[in-house]
Amino acid sequence: MNTLPTSPEAIATLLGSFQPVALEDDLLTPDDVEQLRLTPVESLRVVMLNGFFMPELSTLPQDGSVTVATTLNTDSPDEGVSIRIKAGSVLAQALEVLHVSFSFESEFIAQPRLRVVLEAGAHATLVEQYTHLSDTLCLNNAVVEVFLEAGARLSHPRLQQESLRTRHLSSLHVNQAAGSHYHGTTLAFGGAWSRTEFHVAFSGTGAHCDLNGFYLVGDQQTHDMHLDVIHNLPGCSSNARFKGILYGNGKAVFNGNIVVKPDAQKTDARLSNDNLLLSRAAEIDTRPRLEIYADDVQCSHGTTVGQLDPEMLFYLRARGIPQTQATLMVCDGFASEIIDTCNAAALQQQAQTLLAKRLASVTALAGVNDA
Amino acid sequence: MLSVKDLHVVVNGKEILTGLNLEIKPGEIHALMGPNGSGKSTLSKVLAGREEYVVTEGSVTYKGQDLLALAPEVRAQQGIFMAFQYPVEIPGVNNTYFLQMALNAIRKARGEAELNSLAFMRLVRDKLKALEMDESLLKRYVNAGFSGGEMKRNEILQMTLLEPSLAILDETDSGLDIDALKIVARGVNTLRSPERAMLVITHYQRLLDYIEPDVVHVLSGGKIVMSGDKSLALELEAKGYGWVQDGLEQAA
Ligand SMILES: Nc1ncnc2c1ncn2[C@@H]1O[C@H](COP(=O)(O)OP(=O)(O)O)[C@@H](O)[C@H]1O
Ligand SMILES: [Mg+2]
Repeated sequence: MNTLPTSPEAIATLLGSFQPVALEDDLLTPDDVEQLRLTPVESLRVVMLNGFFMPELSTLPQDGSVTVATTLNTDSPDEGVSIRIKAGSVLAQALEVLHVSFSFESEFIAQPRLRVVLEAGAHATLVEQYTHLSDTLCLNNAVVEVFLEAGARLSHPRLQQESLRTRHLSSLHVNQAAGSHYHGTTLAFGGAWSRTEFHVAFSGTGAHCDLNGFYLVGDQQTHDMHLDVIHNLPGCSSNARFKGILYGNGKAVFNGNIVVKPDAQKTDARLSNDNLLLSRAAEIDTRPRLEIYADDVQCSHGTTVGQLDPEMLFYLRARGIPQTQATLMVCDGFASEIIDTCNAAALQQQAQTLLAKRLASVTALAGVNDA
Repeated sequence: MLSVKDLHVVVNGKEILTGLNLEIKPGEIHALMGPNGSGKSTLSKVLAGREEYVVTEGSVTYKGQDLLALAPEVRAQQGIFMAFQYPVEIPGVNNTYFLQMALNAIRKARGEAELNSLAFMRLVRDKLKALEMDESLLKRYVNAGFSGGEMKRNEILQMTLLEPSLAILDETDSGLDIDALKIVARGVNTLRSPERAMLVITHYQRLLDYIEPDVVHVLSGGKIVMSGDKSLALELEAKGYGWVQDGLEQAA
């Protein structure tokens, strides 16, 4: 049940076993949105229910700096939302996209499609959240495309917190023109199993991409992080930092590929993946890969897999902090190095709360390494 | 306050402490000196409760109770503080948060009200000023990227915040310049009181110019081989540890 399909055929079979769900009006209420939102009430907000755009629950822009359109592709039955930020606009407030799974149906599929375009020189923050209100078995199959035109800057914190019966597939495509800057942080607290893909491509020089990711994978959970960063032009830089905490019989895969093509001189590419295993039954399969075909580049990669450091725990306990709390602090610190890159206070707060709640529920946190 | 009797300690199968005896009364400051590898840090870690260090024989009584039966956090809550020779870096954990958690855990155990962030910040700022420490240390992760001197100051800051009954300083003076050394000494001297005791582990006489010990011990080969007043430290400084060892061999 919890094995993650990896081949395209297996994924297709899987997609076929879930039923599309009809748009249900009045299911999601303004109160629900109020509960779930991670940006101030007056922020621009696009609400998606089971992949459908919900205009009446959304807060759409008035001043012309941002346009929101629906249906990305008229040939496709998938409904989608396209957000365009006008050249040179600097958005003072974050834009939020809230994906909610909620239905009385079971085994349904939601297919949110989101396209975000920042025109030349635009600056924005996009807060994205995948969450749920019901505990039904569903599959979330999301595609998010980000286009950054020349000199555009996007900060993109994302929180995935789905029910333990949800299957999550999402792919994020980041396309960066010259001098653009992407700063993304994905915090994955998972569903039953999840696969998150990141694809980064450059269409101009001097662009920079920061990809940060954190995954918390507990009992009965599987998480797969798949990363492809292609440097095909000179003078771009990328820094991918992923960290995971695993406990119980949680399983995770980190598959990080960075390719530096022959023309991509002066590339600066970094990749790291650090994992903290809180139990013997937890499993991580980490595969960082750098393929370098240019000679004048700076590249590095490193991965670590470790357990809680007894020296750290002892230091905290020697200051009077009880063992359970010390364990939480060390885990929290480990995760904070990624969570703190979000630049979105409410989302960070929410992530810290989730982390503390989940780790506190791990029975006998004391002596977790002996479990 | 502290009574160590015939203490034998094994680490990774090797006996490091081989029958150590030590009596410390309230109000006293004891200096513990000895060559590298003689077991000074082993003693400080055993007193603080590091599980890796296995006591095979002997006893440690603190304020009338069996210290060895207590978890490290309980020892700290009951007033034991050990300044680490090598403080541990804890990435991602904010130093202010750590200090506040520690102080509140100890206050709670003492039956005192926990301090809110505002009250805590007021207190910590006062302590910082007294120690001439830079406030920027508070905003950083616990010991992460700290210089040796910054780490040692952070240990002293913790000590002055937690106000222990028994403070054990493990080579807090090593690697410090004279100004930093005076700050450490000031931290110790402001805590000095008839109810408190200290065990100051040091390599050099230098610190003892500022902190006058009541008793000086020499540790060698896992036990205390010589004890005396502060003049012993001066004699050691002049003659070196070889002098102690030679004396032992002659006596044997
Ligand atoms: N964790 C450990 N594992 C193995 N040997 C240790 C460990 N800690 C200390 N030792 C050994 O115990 C002896 C005493 O060390 P230590 O107590 O650190 O001495 P000191 O502080 O006096 O320099 C040394 O020989 C050291 O190598
Ligand atoms: Mg030592």
